[in-house]
Amino acid sequence: MASELPLTRKAAILPEEADLLRPPRLSRWFGEEQPIGAVVQFLLPALLFYAVFTTYPVVLTVWDSIFTVLPNRPTRFVGLANYATVLFQDDTFWHAVHNTLIWAVFGPAMEITLALLLALALYAGIPGSRIFRLLWFTPVLMSYVVVGVIWMWIYNYDWGVIDTLLRLVGLGSLARAWLGDPAVALPALIVVTTWMWTGFNMIVLLAAFHSLPGEVIEAAELDHCSWLQKLWFIMIPLLRPTIVNLFILSFVGKMKVFDLVWVTTRGGPLWATETVSTYVYKRAFDWSTFDLGYPSAIACIWFVIVLACVTVLSVIFRQRRKLEF
Amino acid sequence: MPWRRRIAQALLAPVVLLYTLATVGPFVWIVVLSLRITPDIFRNPYGAPVPAHWEKYAAAWFGSNYDVYFFNSLLVVGCAVAILTVVGAMAAHALARYRFIGNRFCYFLIFSTLIFPPQLIIIALYQILIEYGLFDTRIGLVLVYVSLNLPITVYILEGFFRRLPSDLYDAARMDGYSEMLVFWKVSFPIAWPAISATIILNTITLWNEFLFAIVLIADDSRRTLPIGILKFMGDQGNDVGMVATGLMISVVPVLLIYAFFSEKLIQGITAGAVK
Repeated sequence: MASELPLTRKAAILPEEADLLRPPRLSRWFGEEQPIGAVVQFLLPALLFYAVFTTYPVVLTVWDSIFTVLPNRPTRFVGLANYATVLFQDDTFWHAVHNTLIWAVFGPAMEITLALLLALALYAGIPGSRIFRLLWFTPVLMSYVVVGVIWMWIYNYDWGVIDTLLRLVGLGSLARAWLGDPAVALPALIVVTTWMWTGFNMIVLLAAFHSLPGEVIEAAELDHCSWLQKLWFIMIPLLRPTIVNLFILSFVGKMKVFDLVWVTTRGGPLWATETVSTYVYKRAFDWSTFDLGYPSAIACIWFVIVLACVTVLSVIFRQRRKLEF
Repeated sequence: MPWRRRIAQALLAPVVLLYTLATVGPFVWIVVLSLRITPDIFRNPYGAPVPAHWEKYAAAWFGSNYDVYFFNSLLVVGCAVAILTVVGAMAAHALARYRFIGNRFCYFLIFSTLIFPPQLIIIALYQILIEYGLFDTRIGLVLVYVSLNLPITVYILEGFFRRLPSDLYDAARMDGYSEMLVFWKVSFPIAWPAISATIILNTITLWNEFLFAIVLIADDSRRTLPIGILKFMGDQGNDVGMVATGLMISVVPVLLIYAFFSEKLIQGITAGAVK
């Protein structure tokens, strides 16, 4: 051990300092100067968890997707039949994809727009901004079960807050069972996720506002930029990377949405709020179809769609950024 | 200039207050509902909690199995967070401090899971846990929870460990510390601000976790709080007052953590997005 001491010092070079572009010398990787034992010790538990509870399940899901997997019966190989059925015959799946995509586009857009306005209000110097910031963040801390139940009551036809208020101002004709009406159930749920996540986006944006370079904004003020011009031509472009990150983060989150739907509508009424996640859950565990192969195929297809969307989103935004400079 | 600022503030204030009402109002309503009994609520849904029925908390706790759900949540989340912290910090330390083949590959591998739709693993996990006798056990759920939150933990901590000056480590090694000791005596204490942020973040997200708990736990005696509430909703959903009491039982710990560690928590939850 003692003889290793002076040598191991080299191991502590930070990755940034390391010239990663140079082709690695074998001795550097496998020679005694690298405390490989220590690295293995540190990394092994995490990799073990990763292998058993992430890699193995993913591989098994892909494998399952080309079989019919029924309990207490031998699995039957069906090839790509599951995929063909999902893609070409399963209307419910496409309905769920449609709903989820609407959610994943409008949800983030509403969240971030609202968050931007609120962050601006606090940035403009509303007194007590610290308190508002803390209060607005609270919805994120709640589980979807709590949020779902609360909003089921808010949307209640007989005594919910919204219908009560509508009747109070004489718009009783607009009152309805918001989650029971196929025409408005999905927008109603999108409002819930927006309510939940706006505070989170607001805090990130506010932090970004405060880290904007002061000299650029001062220069704009010297040029007699109006508030709106300053915001539109200087702040928003500078905030673009943050906004893009938040959008993608929120987009991915909405592509997974399950809990809220399951607590409130279970995909109803008439598939109006069915998302891919709830549909997979129903096919795998809720309906008495028992076949685990088919929902596995849906999961695989869905993963490809999510990956494609995220790639497209980041490519589009990055290209536009390049063009601007 | 100052008067223009005044006007702007005067215009913004109602918007800000309205939004505050929209975010906090529902919680205030739930607190009020949790202290009222259902017949009263149906007579007037927006009445004040007078007299306050505090005994409902005891009734929910002992009569509706919430004590069991609460204890299960506490046990599962506590164990998962403890394992997560140690395993995640060690992995982050290795990825940030050592150069080895596949370092960035490991990092990318762990990081890429963040965009996985949970469906991609949950069906297979269900099969795997059944196969190894871990289905419907709290140990199984703990292990799954660790793997679920490992990516974000490693991601946050790796970013922090990376910024620590390497002189610190050199000094420790000169003093003859082994690699393991360097981690426990140098990295861990110095990174405590980041580690505590991940602890709080993981505690809250796992306390609220729903999908994996509903799939991997079947027996009522092993249900965690979110699933317990849903079961109560299914059985006695019309008992609005009692459901609200149940919601409060699951929310109070979160609000307590928030009251004491709000900045830390915000830091933890937003850490992934800011970088």
